Amino acid sequence: MLTRAEALQLAEKTLKLSKLPECRVIIETSEQAYTRFANNGITTAALGLRFTATIEAAREGSTGSASTDDLDDASLEAAVRRAEEIASIAPPSAEWMPDPGAQEFPDTRDFDEKTASARSPEMIPHIKTVIDAARAKGLVAAGLVERTHRVTAIANKRGLRASHRGADSGVTATIRAADGSSSGWAGHPATRFSEIDSAKVAADAIEKCLRWKSPRRLDPGNYTVVLDATATGDLVRLMSNAFNARGADEGRTFLSKRGGGTRLGEKMFPEFITLRSDPFDPRLPSSPWTNELLPARPMAWIDKGVIANLSYSRYWASKTGKAATPAPGNTILEGSDTSQADLIASVKRGLLVTHFFYIRAVNPQTLQQTGLSRDGLFLIEDGKITDAVVNFRFNESPVRLLQNTRKVGRSIRIRGLEGGIMIAPPLVADDFPFTSISDAV
Amino acid sequence: MLNRRQFLAASSAALANQLFGAPSTSKIPEAKLEALGVVALREGKKYRASYCDIRIVRLRSQSVSMRMTSERGTGRTLSVPNISEESSFGFGVRVIVNGAWGFASSPLVTPEEIARVTGEAVIIAKANAAIQPKPVQLAANKTYRDRWVTPHEKDPFDISAQEKIELLAAATSEVKKNVRILTGTAALTFRSDDKYFASSEGSSIQQYLLQTYGNVDATAVDAEKGISRTRNYVPTQASAGWEYVPQMNLAENAGVIREEVLEHLAAPPVRPGKKDLLLMPNHLMLTIHESVGHPTELDRSLGYEANYAGTSYLTPATIGKRIASDHVTIIGDRTSRRALATCGYDDDGVKTTRFTIIDKGIFKTFQTTRDQAHLINEKQSHGCSQADSWATVPFQRMPNVWLQAGSESTTLDDLIGGIDDGVLIDGRGSYSIDQQRYNFQFGGDAFWEIKGGKKRGMISRVSYQARTPDFWQACDGVAGQSYWRQYGTTGDAKGEPTQINAISHGCSPSRFRQINVLLTD
Repeated sequence: MLTRAEALQLAEKTLKLSKLPECRVIIETSEQAYTRFANNGITTAALGLRFTATIEAAREGSTGSASTDDLDDASLEAAVRRAEEIASIAPPSAEWMPDPGAQEFPDTRDFDEKTASARSPEMIPHIKTVIDAARAKGLVAAGLVERTHRVTAIANKRGLRASHRGADSGVTATIRAADGSSSGWAGHPATRFSEIDSAKVAADAIEKCLRWKSPRRLDPGNYTVVLDATATGDLVRLMSNAFNARGADEGRTFLSKRGGGTRLGEKMFPEFITLRSDPFDPRLPSSPWTNELLPARPMAWIDKGVIANLSYSRYWASKTGKAATPAPGNTILEGSDTSQADLIASVKRGLLVTHFFYIRAVNPQTLQQTGLSRDGLFLIEDGKITDAVVNFRFNESPVRLLQNTRKVGRSIRIRGLEGGIMIAPPLVADDFPFTSISDAV
Repeated sequence: MLNRRQFLAASSAALANQLFGAPSTSKIPEAKLEALGVVALREGKKYRASYCDIRIVRLRSQSVSMRMTSERGTGRTLSVPNISEESSFGFGVRVIVNGAWGFASSPLVTPEEIARVTGEAVIIAKANAAIQPKPVQLAANKTYRDRWVTPHEKDPFDISAQEKIELLAAATSEVKKNVRILTGTAALTFRSDDKYFASSEGSSIQQYLLQTYGNVDATAVDAEKGISRTRNYVPTQASAGWEYVPQMNLAENAGVIREEVLEHLAAPPVRPGKKDLLLMPNHLMLTIHESVGHPTELDRSLGYEANYAGTSYLTPATIGKRIASDHVTIIGDRTSRRALATCGYDDDGVKTTRFTIIDKGIFKTFQTTRDQAHLINEKQSHGCSQADSWATVPFQRMPNVWLQAGSESTTLDDLIGGIDDGVLIDGRGSYSIDQQRYNFQFGGDAFWEIKGGKKRGMISRVSYQARTPDFWQACDGVAGQSYWRQYGTTGDAKGEPTQINAISHGCSPSRFRQINVLLTD
């Protein structure tokens, strides 16, 4: 791995090779260590280092980009020349914006030394904890322990210099009955590897697996649901791109108003729904800069049910006379002090969902998604969990989900099965449309 | 850890050019690659690895795109071109020590680093062996010393970016000929893998794999109704060179999708319910991928992907049983012409092959790698080992999986003529399937109503949902070989951390009876 200073030095050195008036150099290095397990044994483990230098050159609106993971002077110079050669061939882009000059970027405190250096000796005890707990109950464990360490540095010809380092980690476990008749899941993502509680991950997944026995087949239909925090995050995180002002202005998103204009300022959700992003949240720190190299800052997208902001790229801001605003770097749905047990207790008849799988957009405009419940779906009757339920497919939009939400619980950091991360609470929502039965376990 | 000074001083691009740069008609690998490979194999032997292999890989890609959009306020057409290139060079070493796999990789291709990283892989294998219920067992494999190159006439990396952008500008301009089109986009992507493999069993294999993709789309908005629609033309993504690009006919098809997106914008919604489906090859390919390709992966079936991609409704006990109608014969194939998963050897060094997965509706076998074949009592791997980079671990990935054409006398019109109330679906849309590959739901890119045996106007807001074995049992017609087309999917995700794979699926238009059709948003 390179240090921040070494990465910045390399960016500076590469920038000096550039001959065109505009050039941006991005140096990215990452080291990843992980161990996978399945069928109560380790299957693969690896340690890998990656490096990328990306050169983006421009002249009078014509741009070229070339990237390489070759670090020697000759290779970097060749990449700079190639980016410039492309820029000399490319026709000008009508939407090109010159890079910003020097900026003050805040420290988002996205780094922990022990997380960045964890290897097999730190990972294998977690795996042993999960496998031993599963074996003790005659169950079968599969999962992943992983950590990453990233260093990024940026330099451009307008005087902007920036560097950042981050580390992240997580454990997930799927516990299945030996005969494949039930399955439970739990996960714990953490910015600090030392905070990972694999015993709790194992206990939660085992509890889901043991409880999901002899599931009942219920009819598809609209149900009140209690979503575990991961299930909430699986859906709500899909809203974040829709706050793009251009898409709303052009009539392509749920924030477009029929006949033209946007729904900015409109109260679309209950009072207790607040969706925001905050690069400094210690549970999920994000990059200090946006993809347009402006300082990241906290933004409210939905404030007490009202559409509070749209994100404006520098180009779209220039076309509409607005100020550029950062797109969400992370997503936080505000929670409350209500426990999940109290959420369940508030439901007369409904379904408790562990998480969702294979979620895909059906309609990008309304954000209608389809996907399936997985690894634990349970019936709630008179405030208590009574039965396991055969899995369902849903067709629903996170917009309607939040409009139909009655209560939210305590927010935690989650990482969905398909990699989505956010800070989300468990919640209770009415009229969630489960449209067909899935026989999958 | 890697010495930083050494890391910063290395000269790997020049080395990559030396190793892979010159095209060769030789049938044996470049001598310098073999010399580097020997370093890993020698170190593996020193550490008493029972098996060791190394892959030295250079990946290159070039993406060229043109977006034309109507300027806010004036309606004037603005052009937004983009050209970017990426390259990546490094190596990965696998070892088996004490019956367990270990893997490590590095972007610094030097003899010293190869020796060091082999030692890292050994450390990882030894640690893994502590929690390893059964030792790894490799199926027997012949050894090869060979070179293999994707058949092509012109290397797309030798063609000027200017020629590419001009071609895309012509296609996009065609889309924008109607002022009601908000945005048109066209893109070309080229990928190459220079790959060297050497194993402690004696194989030494160099390959050059090429892929070429293109697409054009059109987006239109009806602001009064609050509807936005996009129509895509995606020709077959192919393992081919530049000679394939003119055959894509991007500009010609740009005119077709321009008109179809406007028709789709005004098309009435489908009436939901049970209907017959006529699925075109550029749509059915993805249904094959999700509902036949993935459930016939042996690692999924045996629980090795349980924590992410899931397991399978098929088990080794299902072999020999009926899972589809007798119209359905499915082949796994890493040798088919221009298909994306076609290569000479897989990442276990197994010579690629083709094998029958479903024979007239009867399930025959799974996709396998060398360390899996014995799990279903087979003696040889089906050659399905693949890693998406030098930095990632090879594991079982899908080969090209295709549906055999029906009788040559069966035409598209015959199939449509046999439908009283149905939908013809073209292109890819939304797709989702459960973790055992039972319940799936697919949308499409464009839909036409079929009434009284005739294709009528476009309809909108269509998805269909089915249970995999029921769906394939409901197939009662597959058009003949002259209708057979192959389409690729380039972003197939599997494994943790996720790896991406590119695969082709061929089929003819096919008919499915009484499938549940949904009305979506």
